[in-house]
Amino acid sequence: MDIDDILREVDPASQSIPAETRDLQALTRAWVAERSSPELLRWPADGLFERVNDRIKQQIERVEEMTGDMDPKTNFALIVIQTELERFKYLVRSYLRARIAKIDQHTLHYLSSPDMRARLSETEQAYATRHQALLHNHYLSSFLSAFPPALQNLNDSAGNISMIDTPDTDTAVFIRLLKDSLVEGRGTDGDGIMDGKNGDIIILRWSDAKPLVDSGRAEVI
Amino acid sequence: MALPLPSGLVPAEVAFLCEMEMITIVPRQRLESIPMLSGNTPALRPPRRADLPLWLALLLKKQRRANIVPPPWLLPASLQEIIHIETNVDPQAFSPPPPPPMRSDGRGIARPYAVTTTTTTSSGRGGGGYGNANGRDEDPNTKELILAPPFLPSCTQDAPSGYLPYHWLEIAETLLAHAADDIPNAPEVRALLRDLQEVRAAKMRGSTQHLEGGGGVLNLRGVGAMELAESRGFVLGVVDGVRKLGASIEASRREEELERGDDGGDESDDDMEL
Amino acid sequence: MHGDLGNKLVQQAKRTQNLAHLPPYQTELVRAVTREVRDLDKDVAALLEPFQGSFHPTDDQAVACTLLVNHLSMRRNKRCLLAYHHTRTDKLEKLVWKGYDVVDLAGQQVGDGSVNAGGASNVANGDGSMNNLSPQEEDYVRQYSDLLAAYKGQWTDIDLTGSLEPPRDLFIDVRVLKDAGEIQTEYGQFYVRQGDVERLIAQGYLQKLS
Repeated sequence: MDIDDILREVDPASQSIPAETRDLQALTRAWVAERSSPELLRWPADGLFERVNDRIKQQIERVEEMTGDMDPKTNFALIVIQTELERFKYLVRSYLRARIAKIDQHTLHYLSSPDMRARLSETEQAYATRHQALLHNHYLSSFLSAFPPALQNLNDSAGNISMIDTPDTDTAVFIRLLKDSLVEGRGTDGDGIMDGKNGDIIILRWSDAKPLVDSGRAEVI
Repeated sequence: MALPLPSGLVPAEVAFLCEMEMITIVPRQRLESIPMLSGNTPALRPPRRADLPLWLALLLKKQRRANIVPPPWLLPASLQEIIHIETNVDPQAFSPPPPPPMRSDGRGIARPYAVTTTTTTSSGRGGGGYGNANGRDEDPNTKELILAPPFLPSCTQDAPSGYLPYHWLEIAETLLAHAADDIPNAPEVRALLRDLQEVRAAKMRGSTQHLEGGGGVLNLRGVGAMELAESRGFVLGVVDGVRKLGASIEASRREEELERGDDGGDESDDDMEL
Repeated sequence: MHGDLGNKLVQQAKRTQNLAHLPPYQTELVRAVTREVRDLDKDVAALLEPFQGSFHPTDDQAVACTLLVNHLSMRRNKRCLLAYHHTRTDKLEKLVWKGYDVVDLAGQQVGDGSVNAGGASNVANGDGSMNNLSPQEEDYVRQYSDLLAAYKGQWTDIDLTGSLEPPRDLFIDVRVLKDAGEIQTEYGQFYVRQGDVERLIAQGYLQKLS
């Protein structure tokens, strides 16, 4: 019966990576990058998280169906499925919370322009807008409403100090090159430039790494 | 606060990540394919070997349903070779990471395992951007996917010996903790790993000298995930500290360079200033 | 001196950051700093009044200077008040994320992990309310809890407020040490979900095998 398996193994076309594995790598990469970069990254536009979430839902249903079955063989499959399920749930949870933490820290910054807003998922935009409104209302009811009207806003920038906090995009990060690429990085005493090779692991400022990461030539690690 | 963790993976998260590495097992029992979120597991038929993610291999091992085939780089001879490279061949740099795994495309051409495109046409184009450094090779219609650790087969039986993969330390420690009886000469492996850790820790410390220079880019090719996680706070702290302390120096340097650049950068600049 | 009260607020905020619990809301101090802003604003209006809207800073530099100082003081007080309140809402949000029903922690010490420690209270004044929180903060916590619940609702299957520790050893080997009534009557070794049996292990019915 294993002849099909063997045939499949020698057929190079089927060696292409299955969609589920691709999504796991994409999910994992998104998680590592979000945990490791000083700025909120773009919410994946290809529906990755919606897809993963649907599969998690189906898998939970499968677990419920299997739970009634006391056959020891099913039982072990159940252990495997539940273990993997917890791993997926953890990845999505940690990813979402890493993002919420960044959004909470610089809410006005991420809501300030269409460009920034585009990094958030729709749900995150709704959360951020509402959170910001709750905070502002809290300040108003606690003290701000007693202020002169001109001082009741949170986005004023008089005196050259903006009230809108922004993340430090020059924070250093580690990246791994996925393709041979020229890497340029600004430094204190001088700027650096190197002929990077696939697999290189490089320390540089996030602002210098971002173009490489955005174009898929590198990943944050 | 939604996430009470520092930026960058902490060691526990790196350990979790490394459990996604594929590893080869020898099943001791039959096991039908299991429909997992990341795809169906292969049906297990003793004694046919199979590759599984490490977390699943460990689960099978704990239940005595399988034995683990240690990756070739974890064997004593391989570790000795790597220690030789680390200490004698290049005492400054980390030993090189494994070369990208290749596979046949069935038409006589070896292609990097790590690159696939999602287009299903068999146009013979496949290698993606490999070897092209100019960045203009991407076809916008072809969404390519480049695999990287832990999704490269760098810990299976086919992995090359003599190279440490990105998750080497975590994998080695996990296998020694849970599958020591599957590793030939485990005590020697343990001792060699300790030596290796020491040699490389010294290199990690040495790299901070370059960081204090504030040169812009620093290549740590060959460094491992756990090594990064354990020194991340310190290393990035040094880089950011140097940047903040030198912010005004850097700003005036940039201003000067800009002025020189705007004037065309020829020698007449100096004359004009006089 | 202008700004002294604001400094006190910032010191309070700094202290709060390093405390496990949330110290009492400084109603009086907040009121005083706010009053200072209003007084400064009145001063500004009084200074500008004689000019009838046609004030030119270059013509009257002394007045311009006073106006500038007043403006900066107001803005500084605003920043102090924002920092103070934000430090506190941060702490409250953290508790909400940890799953505490902050509003229900009536009179209890609102602190990291200390909520379960017998409910011993060092702040309760007997009226059963959260004495350390201002009424506005109580409102805020309620509203933020609702917001988080709504966000969580988009992701019901992954339990957003669940553990941030990577999952390990979801299933463990246990040996039955004594009969736990309805749970288990057979002695032997089993492979079970750790979360399901933690209590039984703690109570000595099961033993975890490594």
